[in-house]
Amino acid sequence: MTNDKKDIRRMSGVLGSVQKPGRYSGGEYGEVLKDKSLVKARFAFCFPDSYEIGMSNLGMRLLYGALNSDPDIWCERVFAPWVDMEEQMRAHDIPLCALESGDPLSEFDIIGFTLQYEMCYTNVLNMLQLAKLPIRAVERGEDCPIIIGGGPCTYNPEPVADFFDCFSIGEGETMLNEFTELYIKMKAEGRYSRAEFLHEAARTISGIYVPSLFEVSYNDDGTVKAYTPKYDDIPPRVVKRIMTDMDTAFFPQRVVMPYIETVHDRIMLEVCRGCIRGCRFCQAGMVYRPVREKSPEVLDRQARELYEQTGYEEMSLSSLSISDYTKLPELTDRLLSWTDEKMVSLSLPSLRVDSFSKQLMERVASVRSSSLTFAPEAGTQRLRDVINKNVTLDDLLNAVGVAFEGGKTSVKLYFMQGLPTETESDLDGIADMAREVIEAYYRSPGRVKGRQPSVTVSVSNFIPKPFTPFQWEAADTPEQLEAKQKYLRGRITDRKIHYQYHNVGTSHIEAVLARGDRRLSRVLEAALDAGFKYDAWDEFFNYEGWMELFRKTGIDPAFYANRTFGRDEVLPWDVIDCGVTKSFLLRERDRAYAEKTTPNCREKCSGCGANKLGGKGICCPQTCGEDAQ
Amino acid sequence: MILTEQQIKALPYLDPPKTVRIKFRKAGRLKHISHLDLQRSMARIIARAGLPVWYTKGFNPHPKLVFGVPLPVGVESECELLDLRLDRDIPNEAVRDMLNAKLTDELCALEVREAGAKFVEISAADYSITIKTAGACNELAAEIQQMLTSSPLVIIKKSKSGEKEADIIPMINNVSAKYCADEDVVRLSVRLSCGQTENLNASAVVSALRERLGILSGDPTVEYCNIRRERFYGADGKQFV
Repeated sequence: MTNDKKDIRRMSGVLGSVQKPGRYSGGEYGEVLKDKSLVKARFAFCFPDSYEIGMSNLGMRLLYGALNSDPDIWCERVFAPWVDMEEQMRAHDIPLCALESGDPLSEFDIIGFTLQYEMCYTNVLNMLQLAKLPIRAVERGEDCPIIIGGGPCTYNPEPVADFFDCFSIGEGETMLNEFTELYIKMKAEGRYSRAEFLHEAARTISGIYVPSLFEVSYNDDGTVKAYTPKYDDIPPRVVKRIMTDMDTAFFPQRVVMPYIETVHDRIMLEVCRGCIRGCRFCQAGMVYRPVREKSPEVLDRQARELYEQTGYEEMSLSSLSISDYTKLPELTDRLLSWTDEKMVSLSLPSLRVDSFSKQLMERVASVRSSSLTFAPEAGTQRLRDVINKNVTLDDLLNAVGVAFEGGKTSVKLYFMQGLPTETESDLDGIADMAREVIEAYYRSPGRVKGRQPSVTVSVSNFIPKPFTPFQWEAADTPEQLEAKQKYLRGRITDRKIHYQYHNVGTSHIEAVLARGDRRLSRVLEAALDAGFKYDAWDEFFNYEGWMELFRKTGIDPAFYANRTFGRDEVLPWDVIDCGVTKSFLLRERDRAYAEKTTPNCREKCSGCGANKLGGKGICCPQTCGEDAQ
Repeated sequence: MILTEQQIKALPYLDPPKTVRIKFRKAGRLKHISHLDLQRSMARIIARAGLPVWYTKGFNPHPKLVFGVPLPVGVESECELLDLRLDRDIPNEAVRDMLNAKLTDELCALEVREAGAKFVEISAADYSITIKTAGACNELAAEIQQMLTSSPLVIIKKSKSGEKEADIIPMINNVSAKYCADEDVVRLSVRLSCGQTENLNASAVVSALRERLGILSGDPTVEYCNIRRERFYGADGKQFV
């Protein structure tokens, strides 16, 4: 009676030989199944990391839903196989397949990769190879799927530009549907060819960047000379797409529910996009401008729908800085009116020390306690002013005081090292702040008696990212970063303080790729040939191997990572317009060196330029022009 | 029958709660999900179904879920059992329908009834095993029949106390092996000891056959062995539900 339910996919036979076969089985509640003979375009949404990480991604949940809301399109999921599965696939000649249908990627019309992190680029190439598709766009014939990239790394897609047919710049909810509809239309009208389609997409769909339609020339010193469009009917700079009204933006009615445990295995309720703060190192804070909020009524309704579809016992309010959401008390009141009864706990991922209050903590902790993490980012007031992190030591001590009074005994603090203008005294400041927090614990009259406090100091390495005021800065060399780690370790002697740091080699490669240009495709291709994958995972990352590849391909990593870019230099990502203007970024950079802070968007408009993109729910009190200050 | 939140709240409150037994299928692609992952997911399945689940009264309230005999990963089943406590007097068909509204065909409730005998009384289970292998033929089916019915068939059983040799024939009953020409597979059905006192995994039986007969040693993307648990039996020899 149930023979028809047998898993007959080719790869099913090897699932007995791999860890966590649930990564590859598909069949989750909420997956979308369609009849492939009835759809007009098949879209493979690829996440170039493990299932557990990919299934935690909010963007993938949104875009999977948005594409599948069109009856003509069937969007399926594909994740990077773990190394044990890859071994089986290569041994038995099993191509990379999508989870829903089990069909190989080569049978799809469009393959989309989300680029969340530079260190997943080798996984992208590895997945293309496992799909038996040519790696370079120019080598792909008319019968190959179109390959499009999206996600945060596409604000500088140049290092992977030669491997992609195009990129979607900005928010993809409607853009990917328009793109796929254009594909369907041109196929139906019989005027489809790869070149015609890509040209038409670049010409008619705002936010679509087709790298092959731009000629890049270089100066003698190796810097970029110019980006020249090959046609005069395409925009010379690709403007980022945004959803202007978050209340009416697409919201998925269904969520694919993983059976195996994922990294963020909970409801993620997206409260707003963008951030008012303008921290000068933060790419997300710049490229997701302008700020757009959802209303509490809409959020409450969406939260209920998500609960009914998932049964999750935890809900995370997702935002770059949740305490800046203007209607947070109203939202939490509405949610708590039903979440308590249903045993759903609320969690807030990102807390700012200057807005952390007893009331807020009580709301979050009403069902189950959650851990507290704060991000002062730098150890001294001077350096916090440089990076425009408008918080003080007193703010931090107030916040941890509230936490300790509320029964918490452990706090995690995020910092960065290697920031512009940093000196040893800024590193001393990190150790001092941790000590101050320990002392605040013992000063706190309401602390849990008889328990020791624990402070975790997690220090990441500053990496200059495109579209930030620090985009021109040189990153510290791995040697400098290592010396700073050693110095800081020596400054932290209290055993109640736990020091965590990041791999300096990974940071170095990330810095190269973040500000790289098209010439880096040679290194990435060599990395694929060398079998590199899962570079974001310390157990697979091979720093010496990467250095060897740079030597072999004649590329100097320091040119990209450790060089101060010129103010007038053409940047590889100048072909993209993310809203925020270069003159604003330069102004902010100058203010950083002057140790001057900039007020947040609600206090005073700093004229970043993102306003021109539109967006309901005004990001700043008055509408301002580019040079209003 | 799907009840709304309001309709459920209007049902009589039960103190103590009632325990219902859910018979469910786990098949197809979802045979690859482990028992542990299924246990973790079940609380969410019940929550999204909107069932009036009874929560433990402790510091960390959670639903009380008791599973029958854990199903090994890779094995299908048409007879998995789960006991669940509910604090409203909701009809059994509503429990089944509300669960199935939030499940797929590969994992779904087949039947809901009042919980009866405890799971410790389970002593055997029937399995249907489909073997697709090079060399499948009537003679192979006869060889399998012969091997599973004549003692001894000694395998190495791994347990917490180490490895030991055991003759598994006493734990195998009702053997029937037939070659099915139109699909080119051998269909084997067996009743194996199952439960807390004595347990024999169907995959151990298949491994024994593989070692002795050299079957299923080819390309794993072509050859396969599909195992499906069909029903449980109590110590009295009657079907356990």
